[in-house]
Amino acid sequence: MSHVRRLSEMSSIRTRLAVVAAAVAVPFVDGLGAEPKAEPVGKPEVRVRAIFKSRCLECHSGEKPKGLFGLDSREALIRGGESGRAITPGKPLESLLFQHVQDGSMPPGEEKRLPKGDVEDIRNWIAAGAPFGPKGRLPIVVTQHDVYPILQLRCVVCHGGRVKKAQLDLRSRASILKGGKSGPAAVLGKPTESRLLKKIHDGTMPPRRDLVAASIKVIEPGEIAKVTRWIADGMPLVPDPPSSGQVPVVDDEQRRFWAFRRPVAAAVPVVEAMGRVRNPVDAFLLERLAGKGLSFSADADPVALLRRATLDVTGLPPRLDDLDRADSGRSLAGAGWDAQVDRLLASPHFGVRWARFWLDLAGYSDSDGIQNADPIRRSAYRFRDYVIRSLNDDKPYNRFLLEQIAGDELADYKRAKIVTSEMADNLVATGFLRFVPDATYANITGFVPDRRDVIDAELEVLTSSVMGLTLKCAKCHYHKFDPLPQRDYYRLAAVFKGALDENDWLKPFGTKQFSSGPIGFRHFTVVSTEEQSAHDAHNSRVDAQIAAARRDLSEMAGVARKKHVAARLAKLPVAIREDVRKAVAAEKAKRTEVQRYLAEKFAPLLTIDDAELKKLDPGYAKAIGETDKRVKQLGGQKKEQPFVRALWDRGSPSPTYVLIRGNYLTPGRMVEPGVPEVLAPSGFELDVKPPFPGADSTGRRLAFGRWLTADEHPLTARIIVNRIWKHYFGRGIVGTLDNFGETGDRPTHPELLDWLAVELVRNGWRLKSIHRLILTSSAYRQSSAVTDRQRQVDPENRLLGRMPLKRLDAESLRDSLLSVAGELDSRQFGPGDAVSARADGLVTAVRGPRGWRRSIFLLQRRTQISTLLQNFDLPRMNPNCVQRPISNVAPQALHLLNNKAIRELADRFAERVEKQVGDDARRQTARVYRIALGRTPGDEELAATVPVLEKLRREWAAELKNDQAAARRRALGNLCHAVMNSAAFMYLD
Amino acid sequence: MLSQITDPLRPAVTRRDFFASMSGGLGTAALAGLLSSDLYGTNGLLAAESAFPDQTPKQPHFEPKAKSVIHLFMNGGPSQMDLFDPKEELTRNHGKSYFDKIAGEVENPGAAGALMRSPFRFAKYGECGMDVSELLPHLATQVDRISLVRSMYTTNLTHEPALFIAHCGRMTPGLPSLGSWVTYGLGSENQNLPAYIVLDDPAGLPVNGVQNWQAGFLPPVYQGTRFRSTGKPVLNLDREYEEAESVVKLERDLIGTLDRIHRRRRTGQPQLDARIASYELAARMQLAASDALDISQETAGTQKRYGVGGKGTDSYGRRCLIARRLVERGVRFVQLFINFQIWDNHTNIGTSLPAACRKTDQPIAALLEDLDERGLLDSTLLAWGGEFGRLPIAQLPGDKNVLKAGRDHNQNAMVTWLAGAGIKRGHIHGTTDEIGLKAADQKVTLHDWHATVLDQLGMHHEELFHRRNGLKERLTSVFPARVIDEICS
Repeated sequence: MSHVRRLSEMSSIRTRLAVVAAAVAVPFVDGLGAEPKAEPVGKPEVRVRAIFKSRCLECHSGEKPKGLFGLDSREALIRGGESGRAITPGKPLESLLFQHVQDGSMPPGEEKRLPKGDVEDIRNWIAAGAPFGPKGRLPIVVTQHDVYPILQLRCVVCHGGRVKKAQLDLRSRASILKGGKSGPAAVLGKPTESRLLKKIHDGTMPPRRDLVAASIKVIEPGEIAKVTRWIADGMPLVPDPPSSGQVPVVDDEQRRFWAFRRPVAAAVPVVEAMGRVRNPVDAFLLERLAGKGLSFSADADPVALLRRATLDVTGLPPRLDDLDRADSGRSLAGAGWDAQVDRLLASPHFGVRWARFWLDLAGYSDSDGIQNADPIRRSAYRFRDYVIRSLNDDKPYNRFLLEQIAGDELADYKRAKIVTSEMADNLVATGFLRFVPDATYANITGFVPDRRDVIDAELEVLTSSVMGLTLKCAKCHYHKFDPLPQRDYYRLAAVFKGALDENDWLKPFGTKQFSSGPIGFRHFTVVSTEEQSAHDAHNSRVDAQIAAARRDLSEMAGVARKKHVAARLAKLPVAIREDVRKAVAAEKAKRTEVQRYLAEKFAPLLTIDDAELKKLDPGYAKAIGETDKRVKQLGGQKKEQPFVRALWDRGSPSPTYVLIRGNYLTPGRMVEPGVPEVLAPSGFELDVKPPFPGADSTGRRLAFGRWLTADEHPLTARIIVNRIWKHYFGRGIVGTLDNFGETGDRPTHPELLDWLAVELVRNGWRLKSIHRLILTSSAYRQSSAVTDRQRQVDPENRLLGRMPLKRLDAESLRDSLLSVAGELDSRQFGPGDAVSARADGLVTAVRGPRGWRRSIFLLQRRTQISTLLQNFDLPRMNPNCVQRPISNVAPQALHLLNNKAIRELADRFAERVEKQVGDDARRQTARVYRIALGRTPGDEELAATVPVLEKLRREWAAELKNDQAAARRRALGNLCHAVMNSAAFMYLD
Repeated sequence: MLSQITDPLRPAVTRRDFFASMSGGLGTAALAGLLSSDLYGTNGLLAAESAFPDQTPKQPHFEPKAKSVIHLFMNGGPSQMDLFDPKEELTRNHGKSYFDKIAGEVENPGAAGALMRSPFRFAKYGECGMDVSELLPHLATQVDRISLVRSMYTTNLTHEPALFIAHCGRMTPGLPSLGSWVTYGLGSENQNLPAYIVLDDPAGLPVNGVQNWQAGFLPPVYQGTRFRSTGKPVLNLDREYEEAESVVKLERDLIGTLDRIHRRRRTGQPQLDARIASYELAARMQLAASDALDISQETAGTQKRYGVGGKGTDSYGRRCLIARRLVERGVRFVQLFINFQIWDNHTNIGTSLPAACRKTDQPIAALLEDLDERGLLDSTLLAWGGEFGRLPIAQLPGDKNVLKAGRDHNQNAMVTWLAGAGIKRGHIHGTTDEIGLKAADQKVTLHDWHATVLDQLGMHHEELFHRRNGLKERLTSVFPARVIDEICS
């Protein structure tokens, strides 16, 4: 009997189970256990072996086959590959091997695709039980790793660690056997007697009416068959994967790819044009330029340079006093420029400008956009403020990153007596991985695949922004170009599983509307003790006022009641008056016979309840109304408990499995948290331990964060210096900012990139040191003019023999418009400023009392993105934006030309100019240029502008019935509007 | 050296190279011409490689059948068994309990009632003998022009995510919509009008609002531009402030002069040419948009046919008529929305569904007929459908009054139709099970539907991609998708 033969291979429980298996054979017919009929097996096996030999064994054989999957021995076939089991005997469609050959992904390459006949042979062979060698069919082995994922998926939400209905925990063999209120959930070897299966078979579990509330689906027949088989087989356990010493997939040859090697600073080259070398950055660039017979362009005009640097560093045009200094010339020469650079880097606007790039990477948004109502993420701004402050403080980048990855594991905030502002900041920092749109707020959109989407998106944010890897490609298969096995993806998922666990989920925000069911919310209310105390004190003050108001009222009631009781008493005959009073006032138990009688008779008369009192006493009634109003008004002053958009470890992650083909229904190998193998030396293991003694936290992210931010990490420093470089020079040294792998660009200047990366680490990871190097280099200070020779030799300016001409990005443009108009409110931080959406779709910022704040402080609501910013390429986030496009389209022109708010800014600008220089047309023109463009107009510009301004004055004078002053102002408004619309305003030389 | 640093996956010549190699003083007319010519051969994903994303025409992957698309989006989830898919078994089993079999697939379990037959009469129409409900008398006369797909299904039964799937292929916001992909891939025939125009309902936005026509990670130039059929047609198209024409002209001319001076001093900067061109385009767009939206140029007969001025039909009729005028002018993708969700008939299906039909039936039938008569149906693809279908069981209102019953959402079966360029006339594709609960034969996913729309436009869904973090991002993502060949002519 085939069952017996197959099962006999499991030596430990052999004899006992053979009997059991025979007894329970029937239920298997529909499920996994469907046994192929015994047929002559020689033929398909022979053919398949021939296919393997000619088409597969070249890669998939020997000690270390590709993907750790060998096709050369029975043992290798049973073992499967790095993703997990490759063959499910009897089930071709469930077999990874068959899936690969069927869809042509294996063997790799169009020309190597197996012919249809071969694919059919493999199908038939697996359908026949995949016989291989003298022992015949491959065994069907069901272990805990086949069953735990099923129970996690279907049952554990109510019978697990967090919710334990009927005191039943289905997460492990031991807890299943221990069972719950009604006894053990399983009986070894006896599926038909196991309560777990009985409940499933009779349809009571999972309970149908509660499916949606728990966001689970009914258990599938194939899954039931697996559970049945496992119990029948005696619930065998195989060892978990070893926490150390996974079989390596990646070799040292692959680690030699440039990006996976630790950057080493090359010697700074000695170049001929030493006169142009202001710092080593220049030497690296000049060396390559010289190779092409090129050099740097001449230094840019000082004013153009100042405008460029001010906008690059702060996102605002230079102030007039800075310009005046630049005019004097000397201040921008030599140490003068260095001092200017230091001034710019010290500006609080530096953080505002550069935080925006980081927010793009995080996918920052003030709303989810996932519901029609698009509710606001009310605490998201804390993260924005954290980033601005960190950059302004020049927080070391390795620390900055570590806080965002594992801020909750840096200090024991749960048991701290005092949550310091630093601890609170660390918690806010973890919001970095909380910005992707999250549909799981509702039960019906919160199933496991929906949750996996959220996890995958957060991992994409991480890997695309700071790791320079396209690791998401390994979600479904071994990465096609880079040495990133599928298990690397899931090891990274395991790192985050303490906080993002699809089997132990939290909904993204806590609204009662969707809160039925066993799933909690990601609502995190730990803030600094200082903030909490201030908050509590405020609410206590309000509570005290409310209590006082209520007390006043009740005192008033007491007085009134007394008065009315007295009045009623007074109406009683004098003879009994005092007796009645005493009787009613006396304690019930101590009343005498007479008193009892009197009390019964007169108590109703002398007891005045509130409703009656209100009727009797209009003054009191009025006071009630007033008090209610006051209490309500005071209640409105109470503040909501502060909360943070955070990610925090919950201490008990479910096991992580590689998902074969990325499908949550086909878990493969179990994996432990780890880092991409290619980025660490062979045998490297994450040092995962609880971050502090007794912590309810796995320490996984902390260990990962420390690895990612270690000085010797091959990518981390390179990636951030490359991004900084990009924002100054328009293109990264590696053009693909998010992809340092095989399919990404190679660095145009690998030595320079490495030198900068090493320099960053050497400077304690202080980002401003890199900014300073760039800003003080000759490369940055060159002119943007293009020569014919450059156009021929280096048309794309890869060698940086000139500065590129750059369009202002959306925020810099808007902030510049506000700034020149004198309408920029420079206050920072706090909740985003309101926008208003007009019926026709125009979304504009609402003006505050002192103008408008900078664009970063505008509410970034997904359904209401400022039209101006959007027209100039403010990105949509899903999950993030790794590089903004720069478009050049008519709606930009239409907006700047026709929009009323822009036109009004031009009038404010005009008022400012008029106030400064009076009404002379030439002086006005010069001042407009000065403020908007930082420079004086050229002769040609002056000649083109002044006559038009004069003509405009005449036109307006005719319009305005000869009101010359008004006409001059309106005409100047037109000139300002024209300059705000000009290419010179929008582009940086 | 340069060859080393060139991305091996990119064509050797990029637009940037091309511009960079041109001489400085390039006229804008010439620029527009150059932008529109194909610099790469036929299989390049042109927009993807463009240094400056724009809407100039791009080469499709293969010979297209359709030049334009009109997408009639039916927000809310039209009921398949009450419009196009009569079910005798449902009628026979009317009143029988069914909930337990579909638990977990019902959004409002508390309101779930028994199986409910359609309250509407059906008849067969056209040479193809298509079943159409009495609620769609006008479309019934046009069935020989459409291909009905009865076997569609989706993977989410909540409006917001289901809408995102229908428009963008996945259930989260922030991804490019179909119209964005189409214009990213093909640009537009008309440079004076936006390539992707959304005619939303003046009465209000649909669910998910402007996110339905966003460009996601594609450059924002590919997002839908809202044209309003009443009031001011396009955002910022007209001046929002009062100023004499003479003043405006002086100012505009000054901008032009200053830009030319600026440009002249900066040779070899093609961005600046493109910018000047965009300001000129803006001026042309002002005229072109007003003209396209001016339906008074249509005969009274045409207007009446579309239901313009008609009770209930005026609003949608205007938009259908404008849609025709837009595709006539070469606009690539036109999308019509209705405010909120008229097809979301949870209750009172007996009155709310007829109302939805009255609003749209005549205008849509007129659009089909008119396009065909003008020969435009041969180059225009028309697509009708919502985000999901409805359940065969009743959904009861709070008072459990069966007379006020409606139907809850159903992700497993929905009905759509396609018509026009590349599509069979008078064809019925696929079936649902006997009660209309699930798509049964020849099932079609929304990804298949997306692939089919792209296919008519000459694009293969796997070849229309945008590189992002190492992946070729596609409308159909990694989901299996096939063109519904059976409905293609």
